[in-house]
Amino acid sequence: MPETSYAVLGIFDTPNALMAAIPKARAAKLGAVEAYTPYPIHGIDEALGLRKSPLGGMVLVMGVIGALTALGFQYWISAVDYPIITGGKPIGSWEAFIPIMFEVTVLFATFTAGLGMLFLLNKLPFFGHPVLASKAITGITRDRYVLALEAEDEGFDSTAAAAALRAAGAVEVEVLPAPDRSPFLTSAFILRTLGGIFLACLVAGVAIYSLTKWFPLLKPMVYMQDQPRLNAQKPSAFFKDGHGMQKPVPGTVARGHLPTAVGSQDASANLVNPLPRTPDVFAVGKKVFTTRCEVCHGAVGNGSGSLTSAYGAKAANLQSQQFRDYPDGKIYWAIVNGKNAMPSHAPYLSERERWAVVHYVRALQRAQNAKDEDLKVVAR
Amino acid sequence: MSPNKNASPLLWGAMALGALGVAGTYAAAGPERFWANWILWFVLMFTLGLGSLFIVALEHLVSARWSVPVRRIPERLATLLLPAIPVGLIALGAIPVLYPGARPEAAHHPLLAGKAFWLSLPFFSVRTLIAFGLVLLGLVVLVKGSLSQDSTKDPAFNLRARKFAPAFMAIFAVVITLIAFDWISGLTPEWYSDIFGVYVFAGAFLSGLAATALCVLHLQDQNRLEGVKGDHLYNLGAFLFGFTVFWSYIGFAQYMLMWYANLPDEVIYYKVRLAGAWRAITISLACLHFILPFFALVTRDSKKDPRRMRRVAYLMLGAHVLDMYWLIFPTLGAKPLFSWPEISFALFFIGGILLWIRGAMQKGEDMPVGDPFLREGLEFRL
Repeated sequence: MPETSYAVLGIFDTPNALMAAIPKARAAKLGAVEAYTPYPIHGIDEALGLRKSPLGGMVLVMGVIGALTALGFQYWISAVDYPIITGGKPIGSWEAFIPIMFEVTVLFATFTAGLGMLFLLNKLPFFGHPVLASKAITGITRDRYVLALEAEDEGFDSTAAAAALRAAGAVEVEVLPAPDRSPFLTSAFILRTLGGIFLACLVAGVAIYSLTKWFPLLKPMVYMQDQPRLNAQKPSAFFKDGHGMQKPVPGTVARGHLPTAVGSQDASANLVNPLPRTPDVFAVGKKVFTTRCEVCHGAVGNGSGSLTSAYGAKAANLQSQQFRDYPDGKIYWAIVNGKNAMPSHAPYLSERERWAVVHYVRALQRAQNAKDEDLKVVAR
Repeated sequence: MSPNKNASPLLWGAMALGALGVAGTYAAAGPERFWANWILWFVLMFTLGLGSLFIVALEHLVSARWSVPVRRIPERLATLLLPAIPVGLIALGAIPVLYPGARPEAAHHPLLAGKAFWLSLPFFSVRTLIAFGLVLLGLVVLVKGSLSQDSTKDPAFNLRARKFAPAFMAIFAVVITLIAFDWISGLTPEWYSDIFGVYVFAGAFLSGLAATALCVLHLQDQNRLEGVKGDHLYNLGAFLFGFTVFWSYIGFAQYMLMWYANLPDEVIYYKVRLAGAWRAITISLACLHFILPFFALVTRDSKKDPRRMRRVAYLMLGAHVLDMYWLIFPTLGAKPLFSWPEISFALFFIGGILLWIRGAMQKGEDMPVGDPFLREGLEFRL
């Protein structure tokens, strides 16, 4: 093996002197020019002629992916997979997602920055960099700025490199011999590292186990489960009545269940059916009518359902002039509040189903009392 | 400020035209709209001046060296506080018109009765006068001292400013909080937010930074400020970038907590601003004040690019105007008012502000030539 050097280090006192020396060292064309400094110096990458670091772009892309991941995941769990209303907010409230989106963005971005720098760009794991063996390293990690001319092939001339660095203003020059072993990862090292980690886990585990066993008062950490909190079906000293679960505040309304038709039937006469007359709506109305109304009011709403004979009271004949003249709102009111012997159907029917069945009753009335122009529509 | 020597008559013309509209506003559109516009421009002038003074004080506080060569710019911008004070004194006339807490009915209002003394006209005025006095003290010590150092070259000023800077930070916090709470959130005295002062501070600091960056670029166009380079501009850009995030962080934190708690007296503030046409303004504010400048300045090179920085600085100043408009104008009604009164006020005040800054930029040295750290600041490299 020929006697070669790894590099020649030129030591400078100030970053400005280092920056000034870089163009001269590069012009000498004696080897690869590399700088070692205690902290990052702005503009040194351009001076060294390094390509623009791709790290910024990677961090931006991963940050955006992090934000979108957090948004998508939260939306999926809280609005798609298991829709649940929390704190009375609408399903999929983006405001509540923002803090977690922010955190995940930072997490993705910093991990990309840190790990990308170390492993992708700095090519770690890489042990025993030759410069670590130099005398100059104590200065590099403190207050000295080093410019290295590194050998690119066997023809590296360390004397010429040293002279070039001195000419560029280096206060001191050090010739680094070639390292005697590979700086790259070896299997022995991997085994030693894994063994060390295993041993550390073993010691910590045994220690924690025996300490908590013999000294149960010494808790290694305060568990989150031990904090005071309210449980839905357990007693609690927090509230006066001793229950953990409390009734909602009077006047609380569940989302999507705003009370309607709360006044008298006449007061509800002006309510307007919000649903359009579409086949979908009529299909819903027909289904509801068949399951909930038909047994009493009859298939065409003429008050002769199959259960009529079983009751003392006779169900309303919806085909009579009185009910044909009813505004939509009064029919709706009867569905919500019930009338005479008819019970309220509000607990079983959603807002949409109630109004759909109103449309369907209207259709039944129209079908039984068709006018000439209705026939024309059918004929066309 | 502009290299064009003919700009001055143009600015005077704009001011004169605006003055006509300002007078017309009071006569034709009513005192409420007049005072709302007046307060808007008072707050804008005051926050721009105070934000600039904050930059000056920050430099002394942390003994920053990089900003010494450009320090004269925020110092000159901070003198905008001098015309802002008479504008503010005139604005005291708005208190009985626009501020519900200062009206006699407030004594019977269940929420305002307890705050009646604080919100009353006399105490409101006294507080404002105290704030103005504190600001003048800051101007005298930091700006006048620095100007006189040009001729005396006395390094004792640096020591004095360094000792005064921590005290000024406390003064600054009090003044910006008073201005924010009294003049802006006082318009809706039932509503309160602890962080409101910080929100207004973020906007004030951003507007000071944007104006500083713009003036540096304009002076560089005229081959002044020799030695100020991309590295200095980069630092201003980094501050701008960082504080757009800070502004949105504070703004969103305030919004999210109120949205979550959903208490009627708090959430009404946003209910108004998220209904109808205000909704569009709220969304565009988030875009113009945060998303656009954030992505415009996110890369390293963009902060050194004079063209990019100039555009972002103009955008930031515009966004600050929109921000203050968004805070003040919903009190006038559910529909955002923007018509000839607003345009005349803008002409009048922008003309006046530009004339003042233009005049300030012509006076004296462009750099603090007496500052012993100027050389170090000029040698600054990132």
